[in-house]
Amino acid sequence: MSAIIKQHSASPDAAALVADQPLVTGGLDFGGITEKVSGIVERKTPKAWWLAFSLAASVLLMLVGSIGWLVYEGVGIWGLNNPVGWGWDIVNFVFWVGIGHAGTLISAILFLMRQRWRTAINRFAEAMTIVAVICALMFPAIHVGRIWVLHWFFPVPNQMSMWPNFRSPLLWDFFAVGTYFTVSTIFWYVGLIPDLATLRDRAKTRARQIVFGILSLGWRGGNRQWRHYELVYLMLAGLATPLVLSVHSIVSTDFATSLIPGWHTTIFPPYFVAGAIFSGFGMVMTLALIARKIFKLEDIITIGHLEKMNKVMLVTGSMVGYAYISEFFMAWYSGNIYEAFTFVNRAFGNYAWAYWIMFLCNVVTPQLFWFKKIRTSIPVMFVISIFVNIGMWFERFVIIVTSLARDFLPSSWGYYAPSKWDIMIFIGSFGLFFTLFLLFLRFLPMISMTEIKGVMPEADPHAHGHDGHAAEAAGGEA
Amino acid sequence: MNGSDDSTKHLSSPRTAPHWRSIDDLERTPGYADRIAAEFPEGAMEPGRGIDRRGFLGLMGASLALAGTAGCRRPEEHIVPYVSKPEEITLGIAQRYATTMPRGTENLRLLAHSHEGRPTHIEGNALDGATGGAVDPWASASLLGLYDPDRSRTPLSRGVASSSAAFAGEWAGLHAAALAKQGEGLAVLVEPFASPTLFRLATEFRAAFPKALWAVYDPVSDENIQRGIAQVTGRRLMPVYDFSKADVILSLDADFLGTETRHIENARAFTDRRRIRDGKDTMNRLFLVEPTLSQTATMADARYVVPAGAIGVFAAHVAAALGLQGLAPAALPASVRPDAPRAIAAALSAARGRALVLAGRRQPPEVHALVAAMNDVLGAQGATVSYIEIPKSESSDTASLKALVDAMNAGKVQTLVMLGGNPAYHAPADLGFAQALPGVRTAIHASPHADETSALCAWHIPLHHYLESWGDAVGFDGAPGVIQPLIAPLVDGRSMTEMLALLVTGKDVKGYDAVVATWKTLLPAADFDKDFRTVLHDGLLRVPAPAADIVPVNTGAVAVSMSAALKAAAPGKDALEVVFQLSPCVHDGRYANNGWLQEFPDPVTKLTWDNAAVMSRATADAFGFKNHELIRLSLRGRDIGLPVWIMPGQADYCVTVALGYGRAHGRVAGGVGASAYKLRGSGDADFEGGATLARIRGEHRLACVQDHHGLDAEQMAREGVAERLPMIVREGTLEEYRAHPEFAKERVEEPPLRSMWDDITYKTGHQWGMTIDLNACTGCGACTIACQSENNIPIVGREQVLNGREMHWIRIDRYFSGTVENPTVLAQPVGCQHCEMAPCEQVCPVAATTHDEEGLNVMTYNRCVGTRYCSNNCPYKARRFNFFNYTKDMPETVQMAQNPDVTVRFRGVMEKCTYCTQRINLARIAAKREGRPLKDGDIVAACESACPTQAIVFGDINDPASRVSKMKALDRDYALLGELNVRPRTTYLAKLRNPGTDMKSTNLP
Repeated sequence: MSAIIKQHSASPDAAALVADQPLVTGGLDFGGITEKVSGIVERKTPKAWWLAFSLAASVLLMLVGSIGWLVYEGVGIWGLNNPVGWGWDIVNFVFWVGIGHAGTLISAILFLMRQRWRTAINRFAEAMTIVAVICALMFPAIHVGRIWVLHWFFPVPNQMSMWPNFRSPLLWDFFAVGTYFTVSTIFWYVGLIPDLATLRDRAKTRARQIVFGILSLGWRGGNRQWRHYELVYLMLAGLATPLVLSVHSIVSTDFATSLIPGWHTTIFPPYFVAGAIFSGFGMVMTLALIARKIFKLEDIITIGHLEKMNKVMLVTGSMVGYAYISEFFMAWYSGNIYEAFTFVNRAFGNYAWAYWIMFLCNVVTPQLFWFKKIRTSIPVMFVISIFVNIGMWFERFVIIVTSLARDFLPSSWGYYAPSKWDIMIFIGSFGLFFTLFLLFLRFLPMISMTEIKGVMPEADPHAHGHDGHAAEAAGGEA
Repeated sequence: MNGSDDSTKHLSSPRTAPHWRSIDDLERTPGYADRIAAEFPEGAMEPGRGIDRRGFLGLMGASLALAGTAGCRRPEEHIVPYVSKPEEITLGIAQRYATTMPRGTENLRLLAHSHEGRPTHIEGNALDGATGGAVDPWASASLLGLYDPDRSRTPLSRGVASSSAAFAGEWAGLHAAALAKQGEGLAVLVEPFASPTLFRLATEFRAAFPKALWAVYDPVSDENIQRGIAQVTGRRLMPVYDFSKADVILSLDADFLGTETRHIENARAFTDRRRIRDGKDTMNRLFLVEPTLSQTATMADARYVVPAGAIGVFAAHVAAALGLQGLAPAALPASVRPDAPRAIAAALSAARGRALVLAGRRQPPEVHALVAAMNDVLGAQGATVSYIEIPKSESSDTASLKALVDAMNAGKVQTLVMLGGNPAYHAPADLGFAQALPGVRTAIHASPHADETSALCAWHIPLHHYLESWGDAVGFDGAPGVIQPLIAPLVDGRSMTEMLALLVTGKDVKGYDAVVATWKTLLPAADFDKDFRTVLHDGLLRVPAPAADIVPVNTGAVAVSMSAALKAAAPGKDALEVVFQLSPCVHDGRYANNGWLQEFPDPVTKLTWDNAAVMSRATADAFGFKNHELIRLSLRGRDIGLPVWIMPGQADYCVTVALGYGRAHGRVAGGVGASAYKLRGSGDADFEGGATLARIRGEHRLACVQDHHGLDAEQMAREGVAERLPMIVREGTLEEYRAHPEFAKERVEEPPLRSMWDDITYKTGHQWGMTIDLNACTGCGACTIACQSENNIPIVGREQVLNGREMHWIRIDRYFSGTVENPTVLAQPVGCQHCEMAPCEQVCPVAATTHDEEGLNVMTYNRCVGTRYCSNNCPYKARRFNFFNYTKDMPETVQMAQNPDVTVRFRGVMEKCTYCTQRINLARIAAKREGRPLKDGDIVAACESACPTQAIVFGDINDPASRVSKMKALDRDYALLGELNVRPRTTYLAKLRNPGTDMKSTNLP
């Protein structure tokens, strides 16, 4: 933490900045922060949590049952057909991967760019990322026809000397998402260590002492530990940053490297990354607003934080809108009749309804964030964040399904509609998401106590003239 | 030829190899039957529903033994596997035997493949010069009919399982009684045939039972044609067309390339006149007049949409313009340009002696009489048409059926024997055959299935499939041939020959003996054994076709007979015309329980698993109907419910209904579609006016393999299709081609197709490739079914077709261009194109689909994980995914139809055309063994072999002398979606039409 603070102290404007916009309100001091955040996981489990958890777990059970039937009977239970070989399975995959973007983005990129407001939401967003990527990874695994030979994706030495096909974007995908998941998890866990030590030290039962004792890896808050810790955290941030950009770029190559009109376009990598950040922030916003309300975190996740997130959504939503329009321009400008048809078909063909839902949700609604009043209105931003989630799901649907349904030869054109199993597995994936997320909320500190303390005025040496002590105070609270 | 030398060797092989027993030997020992019955209990020969391992081995053993003694092919019963292998058989190598598929008076000469005594594939017999070894979907799929698990297994006596012996016992009594009364009270209803043995037995029957009734009936036959010709010649003759000599053809409602008699022979000769190599070649010209779009329309140079009832009027206008006197036809339908008949007549006259007019069997006899007269005027007889008496045949005669029903109703028939057919299902509705049948004291019905008719009969006798029967057949060319079995009968029944022989003699006669008895009269006695062996080997007795007589045609008779036909009332909204159509899939219903044929897309409508009320857009709009909506079609107080299917090129207020659906029995056929026979009367014409339509609530989704867009698609989609179609199916006129021979290549403006790296050039060794000549392809779909049989392609059922999951490796894409009222039809077979830069290979994460050094895009099923990415990335959508385990519930008998050279695919695995890689390897091994290089023609892909028009050519493109290289060198050659730079190995030859220079835009009304 001292590293960060030192960097801040190097900036002449830092003090003014902090003074300008308090990132924590409500007169909380370090002890108050610890009490507020740790208390959530230490108090008796609230009824509301049980209610939410049992609901989520039931939906998860539906997912497990559906997947069981899928493996037993075959992917024919989905609505896929000959031209449309990928439907909701891959739509959901890209959707969840997209959602999984915000966490690492908030953690790593904003960390490197010294956007200190991120501290209120980064832990929370990282957890969401990991859970979303778990949901995402499930889909490519279950979408294959023969899941029992899925290990052939792994480049494992075998008696046939048979490697996977490194030219296939699906393999790149496998590595990209796998790497992203690994690095995100490590980054998240490393960030958790001081807070886990806090929980260990506050533990009242033997079980909690042991569990948090093991998980906190012997953290004592010593100076050497802080030095190593901050170095690792910085390096992991540096490592995770390109991943945020690469993972969705790679996912987009699943489509961009193919020759199907509507997939075969060079704009996809940046367009997908922008869309991913957009959808990720949408999902963070939805969850943050709920958690903020339920756990009374208004002082930590302030309206200022939310407004900043809305600005990010406005920017990325506009980028996505720009991409939609430039796709149309390129389709026309290319002079390729297949390409041109695909885009006209998207907007006016038999999937036009999906296209216009997407357009409305992703391009039109975020534009409302130009108005400060809307940007700072919690009910409105909640609704818009839901719209963004819906719109981004439809974006993937439009890209994947409309392109496949009508490609080159009209004889093979088809129409795809999901079966009840598609729908149940999609809903079920939310069950998985919320089950894991609720477990996180219940058992781990949802806000990084360590880091939030670092951005409080008490931690700023220039504010109080206690250079170097604030950090120890922050860690030493444990 | 074609390895059937093997069968000659078998003929000379000893019938009793040391370690085998033969029935004939055993039969002489006492207690034989008991011992056999104890050791091989009844049913050991038949793969029953619950067949056990022992039963299956028994059956297989018997089949193996049979193959070993293929020359005699008596049912041999062995369950011992090869201890020492017979010399002629190499396990795993198919043998081919010549046989014949009897199809009424029209017989198709075949070579059937047999793997260890198990027929696995049907090909044509190339010794039949007229078919050139081609088949149609019915012939290919007849293999599955052999293994149909719904075939009845034992005779049924009053609904209870019985035995052949019991029937023979009962018949002996009936026979003796009938003999005493000279056949009074006895009646026989047979299907048409052309067979020396059946003809001999029929003659003997009539001699033995002079007072017996003898009726011949087939629901779809050439009776109208023969009766029409009889009107002007005085004899019931059959026209045989020689399309190879015809420059200008006028077809009046004749689907002569699709469903009419001799369509394979016709297609081959017709397209021989369309194999354009360069601008100097000439091409025939086809005028087609029809009420409903037929497969022949694919090849029409000018097409006129005329209600079926007005075809006669149209014909009379042409005839009048040709100079036939005394015709006073009504006005032409408004859909036809008034000057069209005169222009057609001019084109026909200009090609006098090289012109041909023909009419479809649906048209009444009067139209056929008129056609004969027109051909006479055009000097066609002896050049493009000849009239023959089909040798050794009995043709369908509706009058004989009427007489039979009258006799039944009058109580004059005590014993009725029906050999084949299903008259309770398909007899004309107004005759009331099914109502009269229960009144017959002893009705006996021999048929493959216990069907609608069997249910009303005292006895049902399983009729053997032709692949398990001895018999013979004679072709239109007069050459007799044999039907020889490839497998011991799977059921306890009798063959057609055996049934008829039993009727005549009252005793069981072996089919083989009956056939030999006939052939002793056909072949010189001196060398009978040797000659007969040659016939078995060849499949036919090669005799020069007799020159057809020139039959005098009395053109004067036409005017009188035509008078009624010339006053056709135009169909309207309150009185629609119903046109009955032989189903290109299930025929007249006889193949309704054949899954391959149920799932075979109708070449025109592309419907599977159903028939429909096919109507024009304007008709549907007039009633406010949409596709799939259920309607009630009523005719003379009888009605059926059908879903609506809107087709372009259909005459307004004219509803086409395919026959053969609405069967009551069979796990495949049962409940599919509605029976059009319920509407069909016994009148002359196979269409009738005065029908009405009404909506029934609800809809029935029709499983169409194409047209998920179709005519109902949005304007935008239709425009998109119209824009790309000229690039996909490249078509031009003969004139255009002569002026710009490279027109096909110029249809697409391509950027320079360059690669970023050094490409593999594929210049060494064999490089496999294919061409498909769109100017020869009629879209018949013979390739689709031949491929299904060769490559063990599963059927998926109606629900899965509705889901877009049909599995055919080679499909026929059908497109329309022009107006909805009268479009041109285009057919394009598409399978895997074996791209050199295959987009599927690059994206497979586990390298399950890769390229081999001979340019094949190979699919490793075992490696496939099933991501479906390859299919997504295939621009031709030629890949097929096993969404379910389609072979899981495959009955064991059907498993016997599988080709052992081809892997059966499991669920979750992608599959596609392999260019018949198993055939490539077999030929390669054979060539290597013989120490010679592979030569062009050694490898014939299954689709290529079946194709009636030789549109498909496969071979080595690295060999400049190969047929495929020569085809690819033609200037009509183009690559479908070649602009994507995927470099497909299959290329197409552009289609040409010959509308002529004298009639601009004749294709428009």
